[in-house]
Amino acid sequence: MPDAPTPRLVYDAFLITAYHDFYKPAVAPRVIGLGLGAALLAELVFSGHLAVRSHAGRDLVLAEPRGGPPRDSLGLWLTELVQGEPDHLAVPEWLEYLAISDTQTKTAEHMVVAGLMVRGEQRSRWLGKVQVTYDAADALIAQAPLARLRRYLSTMDRRMPLLDAFLLALTESVGLSKSLYSQMPSGAREYAEGHLRVLPAPLQAIRGHLTAAVADTAITGNL
Amino acid sequence: MSAPSTTSAVQSALARDKLGTLSLLHFSLTAATPLTVIAGGVVVMFAVAGQIGIPLGYVIIAASLLLFSVGYTAMARHIANAGAMYAFVARGLGRVPGVAAAWVAATSYCALQVSLYGYLGYVAQGLFASIGIDLPWWAFALVAWLLVGLLGTRAVDINAKILAVLLTVEVAVVLVFSASNFANAADGVTFDAFSPSALSGEAAGAVLALAVIGFIGFESPTVYGEEARDRKRTVARATIATVLILAFIYIVSSWSIITAAGADNVVASAIADFDLMFTLAGDQLGPAWETTGRILLLTSVTAAALSFHNTTARYLFALGREQVVFSWLGRTSVRTCAPVAASITQTVAGGLVIVLWAVLGLDPVVHLFYYLGTASGIGLIALILTCAIAVLAYFARDRREESLWASRIAPVLAILAMGGVLYLSVIHFHTLLGVEKGSLLPKLVPVVFAILAALGALWALFLKKARPEVYSGIGHGAKAPLVQAAERAAVPVGAAGER
Repeated sequence: MPDAPTPRLVYDAFLITAYHDFYKPAVAPRVIGLGLGAALLAELVFSGHLAVRSHAGRDLVLAEPRGGPPRDSLGLWLTELVQGEPDHLAVPEWLEYLAISDTQTKTAEHMVVAGLMVRGEQRSRWLGKVQVTYDAADALIAQAPLARLRRYLSTMDRRMPLLDAFLLALTESVGLSKSLYSQMPSGAREYAEGHLRVLPAPLQAIRGHLTAAVADTAITGNL
Repeated sequence: MSAPSTTSAVQSALARDKLGTLSLLHFSLTAATPLTVIAGGVVVMFAVAGQIGIPLGYVIIAASLLLFSVGYTAMARHIANAGAMYAFVARGLGRVPGVAAAWVAATSYCALQVSLYGYLGYVAQGLFASIGIDLPWWAFALVAWLLVGLLGTRAVDINAKILAVLLTVEVAVVLVFSASNFANAADGVTFDAFSPSALSGEAAGAVLALAVIGFIGFESPTVYGEEARDRKRTVARATIATVLILAFIYIVSSWSIITAAGADNVVASAIADFDLMFTLAGDQLGPAWETTGRILLLTSVTAAALSFHNTTARYLFALGREQVVFSWLGRTSVRTCAPVAASITQTVAGGLVIVLWAVLGLDPVVHLFYYLGTASGIGLIALILTCAIAVLAYFARDRREESLWASRIAPVLAILAMGGVLYLSVIHFHTLLGVEKGSLLPKLVPVVFAILAALGALWALFLKKARPEVYSGIGHGAKAPLVQAAERAAVPVGAAGER
């Protein structure tokens, strides 16, 4: 089933940013890290474990003690990091940190456990080093998140769920607009914009900082 | 329950990933290509100016840029998107002058980059003719244009690695040639070139304008301000070190040429032989060194074209992100995250100029390299001067705990110095172009820049009225969408916040 939903925003973000196929390339490594970081933050904000509040011109990330800790280790790792910080850090700092913390491998390992990815090892013939690879367990499921977004854009007949609207924002922010809007009917961008405009403020903040971080990467070439 | 740790694990990890002074120096020095400046610029300066005061010209420009750098790096500590000078103008003088500066800056960088294809074609034509391959200049220029165009759409870090290798070899060769020149002094080592009388008359402005171009790239450490280990000190150290290192190379090498050729003969030698630097090396060190130098000059000019291509693309990209110009210029390559649309635009501009010059049969050195290159120098000096004024205006409102030296004295001195350089460059521009005083061309260049600035200002005024959210993002570069979103959310249409 091509548009079967994967269970988490961060998994969808992984499949959109890091998985490449004939229809869609993977984005640059640092941008993958930024995108996954944004997805993880948004997921925890959405689940109520984290909050983003504007203070003195900065969008700070705060831990929300309601409802107990996240059940998965990825969410728990980030939540505990947020709780352990002596001062509240801003969204750009968390995105930067998550981009350099190998969030891609952590997410891929989770997806292996969830049965969405298959872990492989390749030995370099020349260097003798073992390189770990992650491939989609099912190519159709790997294409599902983008296919789902494109279905919303092509039919425009129903309201997008909030997390899918954020996923759409994330897809645009990492530079995959062409893959998203290619061959879409006229009005698709307005339909998408209508959803993005009403994203809650914390998700808007994460989206904005992700867009800025990707642009900074383009300017500085810090990949 | 134990109290949370007072040390931040995240901050510590981020600090380990930050860039130090040497890393920033690497980025800024790779934007400079000393062999092109010395072989292509210094010898020409002797010929055009007819004076030996070139080392003094470099001393004056280095001192002016050091003064400018004090206030410039101080302001960079307080603003985001410190990568582009127009952002400083937008924050210091307002968004309307900011867009005017952006248009002048983008045009100047673009013209400077395109001008290098003329010199590159000339150098390659001579080099390949010596091995029996006789092709027109534009054929070599088009090959280099294609290479730069392809590399420009790759990731910036790949370009930086290529440029770093070329720079290291270039500096080594320049230092070897200079040492050899001093060791083979015609009349002994003298300090005549540093006498004020060595740089006077109508040629002074021409020398100063050409000298400024050699330092372009010194401003780039501010691009990495947010990634610097110590934002207060690292960027300032890297910027000042860049000016000092480049000044050392340019002063020593130009002085060495005077020493080797003789103060009385260097002008005549430069007029007779634009390849004087390599001729001297060939006489002193042997033909192998001369050939090595000529080959490296070709790679150096190519590196210069690539470096300025990246700078121009970055400017256009930032303007596209702000939607100050076409928003599609803000698109990146999906795989490499390079500013691909801006890069292709610059490539197209370069291709059009090469084809046009070839079709019209214009001279690649005089009509492309000199005319376009020196004209862009005028634009860049005006940009630096405007930026210095913006720094003073920014700190006039609030010193932001910066010292009196950094916020007031150095910017004022920089304005006086750069204002003087601009004045001399404009009134002596005919010397620079090698045309009669009072002819149309020298007058045309400042007028074109003035028209560009006026058009930019008009465009900014239009944005202020018609698209206030776009106007609010001017000068914020990559962060413009954040500012624009905040503007849309918080401010009613028509009230565009502070300047």
